Amino acid sequence: MFSFLVGEAVRDLRRAGRVGLSAVLLITLSLAALGAFWLVSINLERAVTQWRERLRVVAYLRDEPRPEAVAELVRKVQAVGGIQRVRYVSKGEALESLKRALGAQSSVVDQLPRNPLPASVEVTPDEATATPEGTRELVQRLTALREVEEVQGGAEWVESLAQWRRLFQLTGLAVGAVLALAAILTVTTATTLVLHARRDEMEIMRLVGATERVIRLPLLLQGMVQGLLGALIALGGLEAAHALLAPRLEPLLTLTLGLSRAAFLSAPEMLLLLGGGAGLGALGGVLAKGRSFA
Amino acid sequence: MIWLHHVAKLYDTGPVALPALTDVSFSVDKGEFVVLSGPSGAGKTTLLRLLYRDERPSEGEIEVAGFDLVTLRRSRIPLLRRSIGIVFQDAKLLAGRTVFENVAFVLRVLGTPRGEITPRAFQALKAVGLSARAQAYPAQLSQGEAQRASLARAIVKAPALLLADEPTGNLDEDMAAEILELIKEIWTRGTTVLLATHRGALAAQLKRRTLTLRAGRLVKDEG
Repeated sequence: MFSFLVGEAVRDLRRAGRVGLSAVLLITLSLAALGAFWLVSINLERAVTQWRERLRVVAYLRDEPRPEAVAELVRKVQAVGGIQRVRYVSKGEALESLKRALGAQSSVVDQLPRNPLPASVEVTPDEATATPEGTRELVQRLTALREVEEVQGGAEWVESLAQWRRLFQLTGLAVGAVLALAAILTVTTATTLVLHARRDEMEIMRLVGATERVIRLPLLLQGMVQGLLGALIALGGLEAAHALLAPRLEPLLTLTLGLSRAAFLSAPEMLLLLGGGAGLGALGGVLAKGRSFA
Repeated sequence: MIWLHHVAKLYDTGPVALPALTDVSFSVDKGEFVVLSGPSGAGKTTLLRLLYRDERPSEGEIEVAGFDLVTLRRSRIPLLRRSIGIVFQDAKLLAGRTVFENVAFVLRVLGTPRGEITPRAFQALKAVGLSARAQAYPAQLSQGEAQRASLARAIVKAPALLLADEPTGNLDEDMAAEILELIKEIWTRGTTVLLATHRGALAAQLKRRTLTLRAGRLVKDEG
């Protein structure tokens, strides 16, 4: 019976002809658009997560504490709350760090009459505080400490990145939804044409005692096959585009977002896209069925 | 096999409801060969459509092959139809499939195991003398051959009841006689037959019990 149903679905696909092909093309376009926005969103999300993890607030100290007072200072800073980790950076360490950053030009530092860099504490906010509001409050609490001269750092730009990610996600969904609607309508039209072509067959099927399930299932299957085909082509296109563009874009990504590579969809995400395609096609098949059997 | 009790069928075609059948009652026993005779428009096709539950009666009770057709749920109609073979005046063969595929289609639709399909389809084609034309398409068949293919399709699922609606309507006398002979052979193998025809002479020639319909009423039950 299964081979019969699949055979009928394939026969129906051939009957759908150019309209069927248009349906596959529209599903491809809608899923490719959705997938492209999804890819951008995934990579922005990775950047946001990475930057949230790297978020630091630096409190510059008025004076460098004596070595025996450092532990007490760290405890005091920790006590302001919302902090995951505190690291004390002495004036000497700060200078070493500057030298490392300057690389070949590090000899410039040696020309300085004295170390101009202040000692500082590097504060990593905990998960709950790593928000614009949370870091703003943390900065205020740290500024209130007598030992602290100035505090730098905040999560605003990370949040702005997160907002961009949300915007991409929503735009992707909106564009995908519009194209998906067009795809559903095209599959519906293709299936309706198939229904007209199958009228005689369906009459015979009913007369000989076929169940409605057997009569309708090929319609659903051919819609699903159209959707799955569209999704496969979209996925192939996305993968090809990723393979082609990712190596060219990665230096830019590293520079702007700090991402070493552009990630592609994971296996479950690819399956979801394929399932989405099959679902779109099936929906088109079901709607045509509803219209024709009404 | 068939039991009708005060059956009426009205068609609502506007302000006036047109009666297609009025107060029809009769029964057909298992294994009987019954001719349903009457002029065109007498209600023969309507009656047959009631029997395979393509239509519901406006009044009365109908039982076919153990199914109460008045209370029969939609989902159980396929079960009723699996016990009925139907032949129409136009053979209703599927144009894009060969004769063999047309016959095998029924078995495939009904989920018959794959290994049984080919032998059973060929057996049915052999029974109507059409094995040699198995690979022909409907457009390549004569009207008589098309009707024989239609008969093969009706009997391939071994139905308990064969309903034939003017199966010789499009055929010349020789071909009509051939088809009737085939239907008789099917009947002798145990299938109950109800054959509708507007040809009075044909009904008389068959010498079987004949129900005569006129203007939707059963006016004669003889033989």
